[in-house]
Amino acid sequence: MRYRSQSIAYWYFAVAMCLFGLQLVFGLLTASKYLGPDPLLNFLPFDKTKAIHTNLLIVWVLTGFMGATYYVVPEESRSEIYSVKLGYIQLIAWTLMGVTAVVGYMFGWTAGNKMLEQPFPLKIVVVIVMLMFLYNILMTIKRAGRWTVTEGVLVAGLAFAAILYLPALIEYENYTVSIFYRWWTIHLWVEGVWEMIQGGLLAYLLIRLSGADREVMEKWLYVIVGLVFMAGILGTAHHYYWVGVPHYWLPIGGFFSALEPVALLGMAMYAYFAMRRAGFSHPNSLAVHWTIGSTVFTVFGAGLLGFAHTWPSVNKWTHGTLITAMHGHGAFYGAYAMTVLAMISYTLPHLTSDRKVEGSSIGYWAFWMQVMGMFGMTLSFGTAGIGQVYLERILGLGYLDTQLKLQVHFLMLIATASVFATGAALFIWNFFRTAPRSVAAIDSSTSAPDLAPAGHANSAVSG
Amino acid sequence: MTKRQGRLFFIICTLISATVFIGLTFDSHRRFPGLTNEDKLTPEIIRGKDVWHNNNCINCHTLLGEGGYYAPDLTKITQQRGTPYLTAFLKDPSQFYSEEKHRRLMPNPKLSDAEISEVIAFLDWVGHIDNQGWPPRPIIVSGTTIPGTDVGQPPTHASVSTDPVAQGEALFRSSPPACNACHSIASGANLAGPTLAGLATRAAAIIASPEYKGEAKTPTDYIRESITHPSAYLVPGAMYSANSQSFMPDNFAADLEPQQIDSLVAYLETLK
Ligand code: HEM
Ligand SMILES: [Fe+2]
Repeated sequence: MRYRSQSIAYWYFAVAMCLFGLQLVFGLLTASKYLGPDPLLNFLPFDKTKAIHTNLLIVWVLTGFMGATYYVVPEESRSEIYSVKLGYIQLIAWTLMGVTAVVGYMFGWTAGNKMLEQPFPLKIVVVIVMLMFLYNILMTIKRAGRWTVTEGVLVAGLAFAAILYLPALIEYENYTVSIFYRWWTIHLWVEGVWEMIQGGLLAYLLIRLSGADREVMEKWLYVIVGLVFMAGILGTAHHYYWVGVPHYWLPIGGFFSALEPVALLGMAMYAYFAMRRAGFSHPNSLAVHWTIGSTVFTVFGAGLLGFAHTWPSVNKWTHGTLITAMHGHGAFYGAYAMTVLAMISYTLPHLTSDRKVEGSSIGYWAFWMQVMGMFGMTLSFGTAGIGQVYLERILGLGYLDTQLKLQVHFLMLIATASVFATGAALFIWNFFRTAPRSVAAIDSSTSAPDLAPAGHANSAVSG
Repeated sequence: MTKRQGRLFFIICTLISATVFIGLTFDSHRRFPGLTNEDKLTPEIIRGKDVWHNNNCINCHTLLGEGGYYAPDLTKITQQRGTPYLTAFLKDPSQFYSEEKHRRLMPNPKLSDAEISEVIAFLDWVGHIDNQGWPPRPIIVSGTTIPGTDVGQPPTHASVSTDPVAQGEALFRSSPPACNACHSIASGANLAGPTLAGLATRAAAIIASPEYKGEAKTPTDYIRESITHPSAYLVPGAMYSANSQSFMPDNFAADLEPQQIDSLVAYLETLK
């Protein structure tokens, strides 16, 4: 860590870790309701625990993105953050928003629109916090007078994410129109601008971890982001198939969303070739695990499992079944949770004291248990979903009777989710195991061995 | 390839896709009113949409296939269940389903009468959106359209309810009499017997028609007669009858209690 203000990132990551833990508590609670009967039916029914589960996910991943940005931008622009105080105020406002939302959902304060459940006043807080964040980051870059493509892609991704949240502020009288714009936020986030954020962080990590040539890495970063948008923007149509839109969205959605995995495969190849060319010599091999792991899991969870049901003639049968839950878990975890966990693993030796750069065995247990656990969870949802499609959608067995036949898959889900949650608990424990570095320690540690040499910003564009 | 060319690729890809996407969005807006019957979008329906959102229904159910995957899809629900049924159900779901049997139950949403009729109006409007014919075959809430499957379990809790409609529905799905082994209540899903979707409406037309030779004067009587004397009127179709004899068993008048028949009639009457 070269800049004192990078330590803001620690507190963002700390909040992210707490919310991650809470997300899993609610996830396990939600999964147990598949087994039923539900003793909490009248206080915390499925709809509430599920909304809390998905909202916590979105909030902690965004917290992680913002923390990562506070870490990356000073290094890339070679400057302290414009206002450390604003960074902390922003974090407090953001956390309060998240906690209020969770408590509100418990008591039925909700906008009841999937993944955009935040009541209107909280949506406004989200917008204000995002503006504070972008202001702070842009002022940092402006004051430094230099920026790199890596941080440019990262910050642009976050700025677009804020812009794409705006359609969610509007109320639509026509339900079809409301669905249409809901996906401008959700789909264009996860299959558009968040992939931009992922790409930026990946480029940063690969440059640091492998010492690969920045010029080459940033050139390919442009190409990857170009591919993401070429397929991802029109790929939005894979959410438009059966919701009351004109027919032409079907072939468009099928064609362009089928191309989306190309960009994801591109990211994995990007990581692979960077590592192969420049070697795995970096001492923080735990961070290497998370970085490469995230690109591989993205290809599996988002690319392969998304592709599996993205064609209209398949989606006609799988739409609205547990097949979607299978893909949603694999994709969000591989692409976004793992990217944040990779950033945390990379920065942790710098942000906290008394820690070996190469990571501890707890760190590796946390990695493998999560990866295996999540793999098992996607298989559980996937097998349940296949059963559901055949029994309920194709043969015509009643919904409720079909769900009863899927009990064994729900047991498998809970078993694998427990493995996953144990891995996550180890990660969280490992995070909080040692104290954050004091500012004095930061000042004396500017020569930590794994810090990249200054020559890295050679391609930085000034002005 | 240079970095500049990489950047150019990114900008061009993004601009082209975004332009096409925005263009098609404008065109879609031109078409939404027709596809969604916007002229029928009354204030009541819009209030119904608020009921749907305020109660977070979407985080268990799916509607147009979007939602929580934990409870049945409701896209075509008003075409499968009439308003009287849905009203009674929304007043107290536990009268119709039980956690012992299905391991999950809808919590009572505690809606007012007005909210109930609003949300039903909303669901009915959604059910008529032109959505490329999805679902490709009816999604049934419970029971089966597969003859011979073992889902007709003995009546449970639900049959203890005092509401005759709820009792009738539970009985319809129980075995015996296993009505649902031959009849679906989804429109268009004909099994061994004809679908009973819209039965009450159809009954009125049948008794008014010259082909009808039975005793019934009202749709209610007609439904009762169809259970007790299946051959009194034959639904056209070679797979339903032969030699003036319906394929439906004629033992129900003897084997069911009169009160059971009453509840079946009460339930079937709601299929409008
Ligand atoms: C990192 C990238 C991705 C993430 C985080 C992600 C996440 C999700 C989530 C959470 C859903 C469920 C939405 C809901 O239930 O409302 C979903 C639906 C879907 N995703 Fe993805 N996804 C990603 C990439 C992809 C890709 C690359 C494809 C196609 C190749 C794809 C195809 C689909 C389809 C077809 C659905 C809709 C399923 C349906 O409702 O019928 N996704 N995605
Ligand atoms: Fe998508």
